[in-house]
Amino acid sequence: MTNIVILNNEAHRKLRVHAQPSLDLGDNQRFVAVVISEFPALALHYPILFSKDADTGQFYCGVMLGFDVGENLFIEAQCDENLYRPLNLQRGPFYTSGDDLGIDLDNPRVTAAGEQALFGEANEPSLYLQSVMGLMRELKPGLERTKVFINTLMELKLIEPLTIKSHFDDGSQRELTGLYTVNREALAGLNDAAVLDLFRRGYLQLIYLQRASLNHVATLAQKKNRRFLPQLPRRSGVG
Amino acid sequence: MSQRLQSVVIVGGGTAGWLTAGIIAARHQGRMTSGFSVTLVESPTVPIIGVGEGTWPTLRSSLQKMGVSETEFFRHCNAAFKQGAKFAKWTTGADDDAYYPPLMLPQGFTQVNLAPHWLCKGDGTFCDTVSPQGQLCEDGLAPKMITTPEYKAMANYAYHLDAGKFAGFLQQHCTKKLGVRHVLADVTSVNQDEQGDIKSVHTQQAGEIAGDLFVDCTGFASLLLGKTLGVGFKDCQDVLFCDAALALQVPYASPDAPLASHTMSTVQTAGWIWDIGLPTRRGTGYVYSTRHASDDQPCATLMSYLGPEHRHLTPRKIKIRAGHRTTFWKYNCVAVGLAAGFLEPLESSAIVLIELSAKLIAEQLPANREVMDIIAARFNDVTHYRWGRIIDFLKLHYVLTQRRDSAFWRDNVDPATVPERLKNLLKLWKYQSPWFFDEFDRLEEVFPAASYQYVLYGMGFRTEVEQGDNAGTAAAAARYMNDAAVLTKQMRSQLPKNRDLMNKIFEYGLQPI
Repeated sequence: MTNIVILNNEAHRKLRVHAQPSLDLGDNQRFVAVVISEFPALALHYPILFSKDADTGQFYCGVMLGFDVGENLFIEAQCDENLYRPLNLQRGPFYTSGDDLGIDLDNPRVTAAGEQALFGEANEPSLYLQSVMGLMRELKPGLERTKVFINTLMELKLIEPLTIKSHFDDGSQRELTGLYTVNREALAGLNDAAVLDLFRRGYLQLIYLQRASLNHVATLAQKKNRRFLPQLPRRSGVG
Repeated sequence: MSQRLQSVVIVGGGTAGWLTAGIIAARHQGRMTSGFSVTLVESPTVPIIGVGEGTWPTLRSSLQKMGVSETEFFRHCNAAFKQGAKFAKWTTGADDDAYYPPLMLPQGFTQVNLAPHWLCKGDGTFCDTVSPQGQLCEDGLAPKMITTPEYKAMANYAYHLDAGKFAGFLQQHCTKKLGVRHVLADVTSVNQDEQGDIKSVHTQQAGEIAGDLFVDCTGFASLLLGKTLGVGFKDCQDVLFCDAALALQVPYASPDAPLASHTMSTVQTAGWIWDIGLPTRRGTGYVYSTRHASDDQPCATLMSYLGPEHRHLTPRKIKIRAGHRTTFWKYNCVAVGLAAGFLEPLESSAIVLIELSAKLIAEQLPANREVMDIIAARFNDVTHYRWGRIIDFLKLHYVLTQRRDSAFWRDNVDPATVPERLKNLLKLWKYQSPWFFDEFDRLEEVFPAASYQYVLYGMGFRTEVEQGDNAGTAAAAARYMNDAAVLTKQMRSQLPKNRDLMNKIFEYGLQPI
C-alpha cells in the first residue's frame, strides 16, 4: 500500500530515508521506465528499449536490468562502482504531486535507520533532498518529452517489435516479448525532410543511442551466465 | 482491342456503397495516378437503412487493408467486440437451453476433427471442450488486452457497430485517404447502350456521370440491376419465414453496465429476438413471421423481453423480404448489399457478404469490357453458391429445434420447407461429422465446417461414431482438448472485462503495432 503525503519541513523534519540501491527496497525490477534525457548516461551500460504500459497500452522507454521477474543484474555495479542508476530508481519513495514533492510514508525506504536526513538543523532541505528535487525537475517534464519523442517515432512507423531469445549455461532459455526497438530499415527509408527534422530535434542521436544500446543485451546475458559459475568469493556490500 | 476499365461508379452510399468503394479503391491505389477512378453517387435525401449491426472477423482484415485505424473505427462507429453468439431456447425452450457458436475454430481444427472424439466421450458442451471462447463470453471478457496491437486478437473477434455511423466513417476515410470521388446527387435516369450496358447515370444535381463498371448499392430499390436491367428477385420465404422486424435501441442502466461481447439470440413464439451490445446502447429487435403472429403480439413479445423499465420506448417496424436477385452481375453492372438481396440477421451475413462481393470485384476487376462477362459468370457462380449456403445455414438453426410449441416452429421443421442440399447433409451427418473433405472447401467459404459443428452439436444433434474410427487420432485429440482447457484457464485469468477494455480503448487507444 502507499500513503503519499506532501512533504513539509515541519511534519517531516525528522524523517530519514535509505537511499542506497537495494533489492529488498524496490530495485528488484527487470525493466524500469526512463526518460530521454537519461539516454546518454544509460546507453553506456543498459539496453534501452520500448515497451507498453500494461494498464494503458501506451508506449514508454525503459531499460532492461534482467531476464526474470525481479532480477536486477546491475545491482552490484550500482552499489560498488557508482554506476548510473535510472532516475525512477533513484527517486526512491518520492513522487511529484502537482508542483509539490510527495513522499510515500509506507515505503520501506522511509525509516529511522535511513542514512539520509531530509532536513538540516534549521529545517532547510538536506543535500540529499536537494538532489531528489533536482531529479524530479528532470523526471517530470522528461516523461512528457519522452512521450512526444515516442509519438514522433510512431508517426514515422519507426518502431517494431523485438523478441529477445537467450540461452543460458544452465540449459535454460528465456524468450522476452512485449519489447520494441527502432527499425533500422524504416529509419534508412525516411525522406530527407523527416531525417532533418529528427536531427534538429535531437532525436536522431537518441535513436542511435537506443540502437547501439541493444548490444548490452548480450553483455547482460553474460552477466547472468556468470551467476551459474561455481560460486567464487564475492565482495560484500551488496544491498 | 478493348479499352481498359478505368472508372468504377458506385450508386448508393450506405454500408454497401462505402465498403465497396473502400475495398476497390484500396486495392487499386496504385492505378489512381494513371486515370483509374472510383466514384460514389449518393442521394442527399434517401436515408440509409442501417442493416446488420453484427459483423464477421473478415471485417478486421477489410478495414486494415483499407488503412483504417481500428481505434478510430471503435471511437467513431460506436463499435465493440463480438466474439460469437449465444442462442437461447432454440433447442428445447427450457430455461437452461443455450449454446454458443464462438468465432474461434476448435483447437487444432486443421489437424484433427475433435467432433467425433467429443461425441464419443465428451462430458462438457462441445464448445467448451474445443474452445475457450464460450467461457470468455459467459464471463463478459474481452478478446484481447490493451497492449494487444490493433486488429490482432487473442481470441478471434468481429464487431458490433452502429451501421449509420459506420457508413459516415467510411465515407470520410474513402474520400480523404483513398481518393474516392463523392457526388451528392439524385439519379434521375440510367442510360444504356444498344447492348444493354449502362453508359451513364443522369443526376439532378451533377449532370451525367459515365462509367465502365457500375455497382448497384441502392438498397432494396435495386435501381440499376433490378429496375433498369430487369433482373428478377428470388423469394426465399418458403424456407425462411420471417418477414418483419421490430427494432428498438435500448439504453444501459448505467454507463459502466456490463457489455456483452456476443450477440444474444433468444427464441420467441413466431421468431427470435436479437440483442447486441454497443458501448453506449443495446440494439435489440424481434424478427418474426407475420403469418405466425397477430398484429399486436410481436410488440408485446419484444417489450416483455426487455422488461418494464423500457415500456416507454416504441419499436420501429421494418418489413423484410428474404431472397436475392436471380443474377448479381449483368452486363457491366453488379449489385452489392441489399440491392443483391436480404436475409434475416441471424448469422450477421449482410456485411460479410458485402465484403466478400466487394473483394471479389476488387481482386478480379476485369481489365476491359471484353473479359468482363467471364468475370461476371464467375462472380454469379460464387455469389449464388454463397447465398445458397447462407440460406441452408440459417435454416439449419430452425430444423434442429425440438420445439413444437407454436405453429412457427412446427412449420419450420416441415420437410417441404427444407432445401434439398441441407436435407442431404443432415442425412450424411448422422454418420459422419462435418470437417475437411466435406463440401465446404471453397476459398473464402462463408461458413466453414466448424460453424456447422458448433450449431449441430450445440443443438443436440448426434452423429453416430464408430469407436475404432477414432483410434488413430485419439492421442492428438486428447492433446488438443487439453490445450483448449489450458488456454481457457489462462485466458480467463488474463483477459480484462469487455467493458473495461472498451473504456480504455476510448481513453488511450490501441497501438498499431
